[in-house]
Amino acid sequence: MTDSSQAISVTPTPAASARKMRAFDALTSQSSLLLGVLVILIIVFTILEPKFFSVATASNILTDWGSIVLIAVGQAFVIISGGIDLSVGAVIGLSGVVAAWTMASVLGLDQTVKGQDAWGGLLVGAAVSIGVGLLVGLINAFLINVLKIVPFIATLSTMGAALGLSVVISQGAPIGSANDFALISSFSPQWNPLSPALVVVIVVVTVLGLYLHKARVGLYTYAIGSNAFAARAAGINVARHLTWVYAVSGALAGLAGIYVYIRLGAGSPSSGTGRELDAIAAVVIGGVSLMGGIGRLSGVVIGALILFTVQSGLIMIGVEPDWKKVVVAVLIAAAVAAQVLRKSDGRS
Amino acid sequence: MKTPFRTVAVVGALAAASIAITGCTTTETGGEPAVEEISIAFVMGAESDPFFQAMKVGAEEEAAAQGVELIWQGDPANYSAETQIPIVDAVLAQQPDALVLIPTDPVALQASVDKAIAAGIVVANVDTRVDDLSNVLTFITGDNTDGGAKAADALAAKIGYEEGGSYEVVVGLTSPTATTNVGRLDGFTAQIEAEYPGIAIVDVAYSESNPEKAATNVNNWLTKYPGLDGIFAIDGTNASGAAAALEAKGLVGTVGLVGYDAYPDNVAKIESGIFTALIAQDPAEEARLAIRTIVEFIRNGSTSTPAEVVIPNVTLDANTSAADLAKYTYVAN
Repeated sequence: MTDSSQAISVTPTPAASARKMRAFDALTSQSSLLLGVLVILIIVFTILEPKFFSVATASNILTDWGSIVLIAVGQAFVIISGGIDLSVGAVIGLSGVVAAWTMASVLGLDQTVKGQDAWGGLLVGAAVSIGVGLLVGLINAFLINVLKIVPFIATLSTMGAALGLSVVISQGAPIGSANDFALISSFSPQWNPLSPALVVVIVVVTVLGLYLHKARVGLYTYAIGSNAFAARAAGINVARHLTWVYAVSGALAGLAGIYVYIRLGAGSPSSGTGRELDAIAAVVIGGVSLMGGIGRLSGVVIGALILFTVQSGLIMIGVEPDWKKVVVAVLIAAAVAAQVLRKSDGRS
Repeated sequence: MKTPFRTVAVVGALAAASIAITGCTTTETGGEPAVEEISIAFVMGAESDPFFQAMKVGAEEEAAAQGVELIWQGDPANYSAETQIPIVDAVLAQQPDALVLIPTDPVALQASVDKAIAAGIVVANVDTRVDDLSNVLTFITGDNTDGGAKAADALAAKIGYEEGGSYEVVVGLTSPTATTNVGRLDGFTAQIEAEYPGIAIVDVAYSESNPEKAATNVNNWLTKYPGLDGIFAIDGTNASGAAAALEAKGLVGTVGLVGYDAYPDNVAKIESGIFTALIAQDPAEEARLAIRTIVEFIRNGSTSTPAEVVIPNVTLDANTSAADLAKYTYVAN
């Protein structure tokens, strides 16, 4: 576990010393720390509520994780590139609503269409949902690259527009259509918490992780986030790469939209409410710097897992729901503090 | 959906007001010109809520039937005093004869009501009320406490409640402060304590108006309480999320589910047995009665409608006739 962006800034050292540094990094890397936190959380919740330690709980947590990890990974790309995407929560709602509307009104499928009969409709819905997300992502890129609007404002306005449109299309109510709930149900409630939908999510996240950390074009994201001027001087087409980054974030939000649709059997305008903040929380807990240029997807993936472990654990032990926000706030503060402390260590 | 954005609504209202000032007359939605045209402004909570969509249908029907002009306004998505007050101000600038207001806050909207009354405008409250009703013509609302009690009855029937048995139920709420949530939960709890002492409300959680969070809550409850008997989903959002969670876990019919609000998508799930019952309000009737009362008062100088009217909530279940299901479903036009 090394941090590629830190590797750039670290001054050259003899090989042996570098290996030592790497070993130290691995032990104290954000991902290792987060895994430690995750294990501690699981132990604490299990002591307080033994039923917490079960495949059923794992299934509950992973089902929640599935939609958020998608937008968190998109958010990580955007934040590493030095921007932010506030529109992802609203896009979950809009893409789910447009997909549901297409399935219900264009294909004429109602909620009595279930099981494998629904697969054809769901494929169309998935294409529409991802398409809607992609479109919003491209609009974000246009506002940022061409109109030179700062990402916070650009994505804040598409967030508002997406929310408004989803309410207009759905008239506020969920639109139900064909669905196969087996796609979101665990393969085996006793043994295997994964579901078909989760397998898709894991494949997508893995591919994007390899792309960001291994492909040269993926590494451009770090260069732009560290110093956009230097990246441009080095010959990177910054505008084109940023378009790609926001398109990925939008398309992932669209994929999350159809995931949530399958989860609910309906497209609902409020199904993404506030989720952009969950995504940003996962990204920050995962060790990505909001200043850009630093972070790894492995941390983000575990960060999202921690969020929902806390949520599930607090529901299971029957803590007042408002405490969840307090606990998440403490985790965010701790994660950022750990990040800053490790950074100052590395420089000394 | 004539005003997708608040700014458009406000700008539009200001434009209409300026036209009124220059002496032109405007004709808004609904209503054929009567001999003495009565204009009624109707400012509701949030256009995005199917409850208000259904209310709009009732208001437009009654305005057309009475031959009066209806000015329908409200924020597209935010149920808040902050967004509602400027809309009320803009509407009052059009000098309507009457104002039907769904105050989003009992205190914050009092000044707007007082201002309207001082200007000689007849004011009625629907669904929610301002604190001081002394100069308000009538206050028409649904009975949330009674709805909660009806939910308890429906859930107990589904569980097969027997004296001496012990049962576990949970309640999915939206927020700890929403007044409708509080009323329904009070009614539900009181009815269970009085009639079904063997039922224990073992847990509550909040969905924050997000159906996916509502589904998450139900998933975790099903793990924690493997013998869970029933769920009371206190509003449309919780109802949608709970229904999906039961379907995904294959527990439809095993765990009783009583929901609230007759969203079209949820009404269809009564027939398939996912909902034991849905408790529905009658927003269209609330709107019709408000308009009927105002027209009667303006034309005759008095009204037979009492100062406070409580319209009972109804239980929709497998025995409800198709006609009644259609009547109570929150349809938009």
